[in-house]
Amino acid sequence: MARIGEVQAPVATRDALARGRLRASLVPDLLVEARRIVNTVIAGWHGRRKRGIGENFWQFRPYVEGDSSRIDWRRSARDDHTYVRDREWEAAHTVWLWADPSPSMLYKSAGASVSKESRALVLALAMAELLSRSGERIAWPGLSDPFTARNGAERIAAHLAHAAALPAKPDLSSIRRFCDIVIVSDFLDPVEDTMAWLDVLARHGVRAHLIEVADPAEETFPYAGRTEFTDPETGDKLTAGRAEMLGEDYRLLYTARRQELAGWCKRLGWSFTVNHTDRLASEALVRIHMAMTAESGYAGKISA
Amino acid sequence: MSWLPLSFGVPIVLWGLLALPVIWWLLRLTPPKPQTEVFPPLKILARVLKREETPHQSPWWLTLLRLLMAALVVTALAEPVFNPREKLPAEGSALALVIDNDWASAADWSKRVATAQRLIADASSNGVPVVIAFTAEKPNAEIGPFDAATALDRLRAAKPRPIPTDRPAIYARVAAALERLPGASVAVLADGLAAQGDEAAFNTLLSKNAARLVWATSDRLSLTGLTVADNQVDGFALTAIRAPNDPAPAQVTAGAFDDKGRRIADATLTFSPGESTATGTMAVPFELRNDFASIALDGEHQAGAVRVLDESSKRRRVGLLSQAEADQAQPLLSPLYYIRRALQPFADLVEPSSVDLADAIPQLLDQKPAMIVMADVGTIPEQVKQRLVDWVDKGGTLVRFAGSRLAAAGNDDDLLPVRLRTGERSMGGALSWTTPQPVTEFPKSGPFADLAPPAEVTVTRQVLAEPTPDIVERTWATLADGTPLVTGLKKGKGTLVLFHVTPEATWSNLPISGSFVEMLRRIVQLSRNQGAAIANAEAAATSLAPYRMIAADGELVPPTPDARPLVPGAGPLPVTFENPPGLYGSETGVFAHNLLEADSTFALLDRPQISLPVTTVQYAFDESRNLKGALVAAALVLMVLDTLAVFWMGGLLARRPRRAAATTAAAVLIALGALLGHADLARADDAKPGDAQAIEDIAKTRIAYVLTGEPGVDSISRAGLEGLTRFLIEKTALEPGAPAGVDIAKDELSFYPLIYWPIDPAAPMPSQAAIARVDAYMQQGGTVLFDTRDQFANGIGADSTSPATERLRDILGDLNVPPLEPVPSDHVLTKSFFILPEFPGRFAGSPLWVEASLDASNTENRPVRVGDGVSPILITANDFAGAWAVDENGDPLLPTVPADPMQRIYALRAGVNIMMYMLTGNYKSDQVHVPVLLERLGQ
Repeated sequence: MARIGEVQAPVATRDALARGRLRASLVPDLLVEARRIVNTVIAGWHGRRKRGIGENFWQFRPYVEGDSSRIDWRRSARDDHTYVRDREWEAAHTVWLWADPSPSMLYKSAGASVSKESRALVLALAMAELLSRSGERIAWPGLSDPFTARNGAERIAAHLAHAAALPAKPDLSSIRRFCDIVIVSDFLDPVEDTMAWLDVLARHGVRAHLIEVADPAEETFPYAGRTEFTDPETGDKLTAGRAEMLGEDYRLLYTARRQELAGWCKRLGWSFTVNHTDRLASEALVRIHMAMTAESGYAGKISA
Repeated sequence: MSWLPLSFGVPIVLWGLLALPVIWWLLRLTPPKPQTEVFPPLKILARVLKREETPHQSPWWLTLLRLLMAALVVTALAEPVFNPREKLPAEGSALALVIDNDWASAADWSKRVATAQRLIADASSNGVPVVIAFTAEKPNAEIGPFDAATALDRLRAAKPRPIPTDRPAIYARVAAALERLPGASVAVLADGLAAQGDEAAFNTLLSKNAARLVWATSDRLSLTGLTVADNQVDGFALTAIRAPNDPAPAQVTAGAFDDKGRRIADATLTFSPGESTATGTMAVPFELRNDFASIALDGEHQAGAVRVLDESSKRRRVGLLSQAEADQAQPLLSPLYYIRRALQPFADLVEPSSVDLADAIPQLLDQKPAMIVMADVGTIPEQVKQRLVDWVDKGGTLVRFAGSRLAAAGNDDDLLPVRLRTGERSMGGALSWTTPQPVTEFPKSGPFADLAPPAEVTVTRQVLAEPTPDIVERTWATLADGTPLVTGLKKGKGTLVLFHVTPEATWSNLPISGSFVEMLRRIVQLSRNQGAAIANAEAAATSLAPYRMIAADGELVPPTPDARPLVPGAGPLPVTFENPPGLYGSETGVFAHNLLEADSTFALLDRPQISLPVTTVQYAFDESRNLKGALVAAALVLMVLDTLAVFWMGGLLARRPRRAAATTAAAVLIALGALLGHADLARADDAKPGDAQAIEDIAKTRIAYVLTGEPGVDSISRAGLEGLTRFLIEKTALEPGAPAGVDIAKDELSFYPLIYWPIDPAAPMPSQAAIARVDAYMQQGGTVLFDTRDQFANGIGADSTSPATERLRDILGDLNVPPLEPVPSDHVLTKSFFILPEFPGRFAGSPLWVEASLDASNTENRPVRVGDGVSPILITANDFAGAWAVDENGDPLLPTVPADPMQRIYALRAGVNIMMYMLTGNYKSDQVHVPVLLERLGQ
């Protein structure tokens, strides 16, 4: 029986140089793919389309008693009403992007088209491309500060390629209020750990978008027979005499973990998206795009 | 394996133990290599998988267990034998087994049999015939040659005999049998005791045809035999012998047993170092010694350690001699009467058949008595006197009583202890006493010293002894005035005793006192039997039938079929197969035939000095044990353990503890439930429907009425009985419960003493079954009061009957009704509570019919007629219930006819009388006699 899952990159060679090299060779491809994916989404992405602090005129609206806005007397002089000039919101938004670099992300099963890390990077860079194109400030925690550039994805990729060993879980405490953060990971750590890690975001009022990249083999557990399972992160081994006997219990736990995380996100007003590596990355991209544009109404909805 | 008493039947299989390392390697192998899979969500999986983790290698103890199991199986296949027995040499054309089964072999007979069995088994494996002979069997017993199986059967059938060996005869037969089987191995299983003719016997056996000698002996001859058991004056003298090869000091205990096998005495015999003879004395009272039937050495289960005892060591024979004519009409005046009565319990009395002293004394002396009692014998004929004197000199005890003849006969220095004055002294004579003389303390020197003086004995006449210097020494008992009453003298080995009074109660009341018995008994104890007596001359000439035999193990048993009568003759009586040791004779007299003579010794049997190859073996049990089964069993146990361990490691036992616990709890609950359920069932079985009702019915006495099915009748019955019940409670000690209506077809009737049955023609006729129940109720002691309530409904005319009466007749037709009569005036019903001449109800005039008394006529004018039991049936037409009936307020419901208030009261009194009659039966009829009885008692 052929192996169901494999580690795309050898886990044993964890040294930073090899990883960096690999990432450097990988990123251009990802960029291309990210651009291709972004092109299919870009149609619905046209500025803020709402009033706010900015330079461009957005609308005149009648003055309401108690309105703190400044009255536009020129317009008000035209007729008997008093108007206020609104400007379109043009303040650059900061979106933090982060893809899980942990070894467990390197996993790719037979049924999946890409490894989880690959998918996660693709999603993160695609988001970077998207956001850069719309002029948002993007950043990668632990790697770069927020910046605005047309070639944001390239710069992120370059940062990634040149980065030394990346922390497994970056420090998120520097992310301030009103920022968004897109976290792409498999969230296979215990939910409590994940929650404790992300709790700082919730306390800072950051809106987070969690994308769980899942391999289909992880979810369906198609193993049978005597099987020795290895954790790619810790190297722990477990041997199951009859793996098929475990499927039911395992799936229950696996799903429960996801439900718990999703429920937590929903309580916080965050979005939680699941993307399987045997499906298209653009599915997740579309959904995360909708989640970011649709204020908070979309938050917490699980989608596949 | 020399360090272990272990050998293997198939040792080559032990090479299989070399496979153990291979097995070890195989066992160390882990289960099939698992598929390795990378699995990132391992932490989640770990929560599921934790308990099913299979180790890579089986634990060392499991491997050890399995290795041990394999080793056990291999060892078991090699057929190990623990304590393997040595192969006994049994080569040759045949095996001749010559086994001593005499008394000396009895103690370890089973070891000898085991040894012989091994020899036979080896012969069987060699396929040679077996000649098997026993030296203490009949000389003509079959000896073979047999095949091994038959020889084994004969060996098992053989048993030790309580007799010595007869080696020459048997060995000669074996030698003859071996003539056809030259080159045979001869196995001699000897008992170790030498006997006469042994050397010649061995020569006969071994000189020809024998190719090899297997010599089996005990390692040590540890026999102890009892050679002498002699009843002496102060005790039983015992002598025991042992084999001379046992120089160590030793003690043996001899026990004496009575004829029922009860142990009554002990003695310890001590063998000094190097001595082969031990003596001891069983110092027990004389009476106890006479009960000895056998003496045996403890711990010696063979015939040589047992001696049976016969009469010669037992009760004294006492000859009785008298010259008085035996007057059967006046036995109390016979001079020997009291002597007989006194001596019978502890002596054998011998009386001559002839009254002539010249014949009688020799007859007595032939019996060799220990003692001769002469009651008032005066002169002894000269021709027998010398024999009598000789007998006394040799140890006989002669007891003489005074009397008129002795007083007249004069002195006899040889046969009297003292010189007598001629004539006797009596109260009232010249040398007389004024009062009868009592007996004083017994002199300390005499044999009666420790007896209590007979204070109640008085002597009125006696013969007097001449005062001599030694009269005091010879005096055994004296009177208050110092004259001797009993004198005694040692003469030779014997004793002469004279009682100075008559043996009957004429001269004194000594013979009828308890002291007389004590004194005679003491004298008897002093006496000694003068040799063994042959019970009678004819029996001596013929033979004595076997009575009790000594078995080979020393027990006394009934005679075996082989035992023949013993012919006691002059010469020594050998113990043979026909005459095994034991008691011969019958219950009346036995002759002891003992195995060992008084001068017997044990001589050791030496191995014959011959030139044949000799193998010496020891008697021993075959203690080899095949260990195969035990090892296989152990391997099986280990296998079970292994299985359990594998289950345990596989988590099967702890996989779902909660469910297991639940299952266990459920099982326990079910078991408990079953138990409790059983208990419930056990209780429930006892219960029957209607129990509560029954308990309520019998908790109080209740009067019942029959539910006729007519509501009016039934309500009147109920109201009537209610009224009667109230009246009873008011007037009497009886407090009945509420009346009970019974359906005679269904309800239990036996709860009620009285059932009131109003007959209503309109009511349906009760079924046969119901009437049968009423019949059974009446038979068992119940009473039915039938009430036709038609006193005034009958038509005019003698034979006219009302429908109710017709119905009653129909009912009674199916019942066993006794003869009836109207209540007579002296019937107990008329007096049981109230004095009642008649029994009216709502109507008056109808008689109350009861069972007729058997003796209807009251002849003795008693106040009441005698009678037992209670009439089972009462019939009236007066409608009792109608008169009794009351409503809730106690007011009468129906008017009486005629309307007389007293009639209702009388009716109620009639009811009270009937109830009292029911409950007390004939007690009242007896009670009326009490004044008369008290008067007769004078009060």
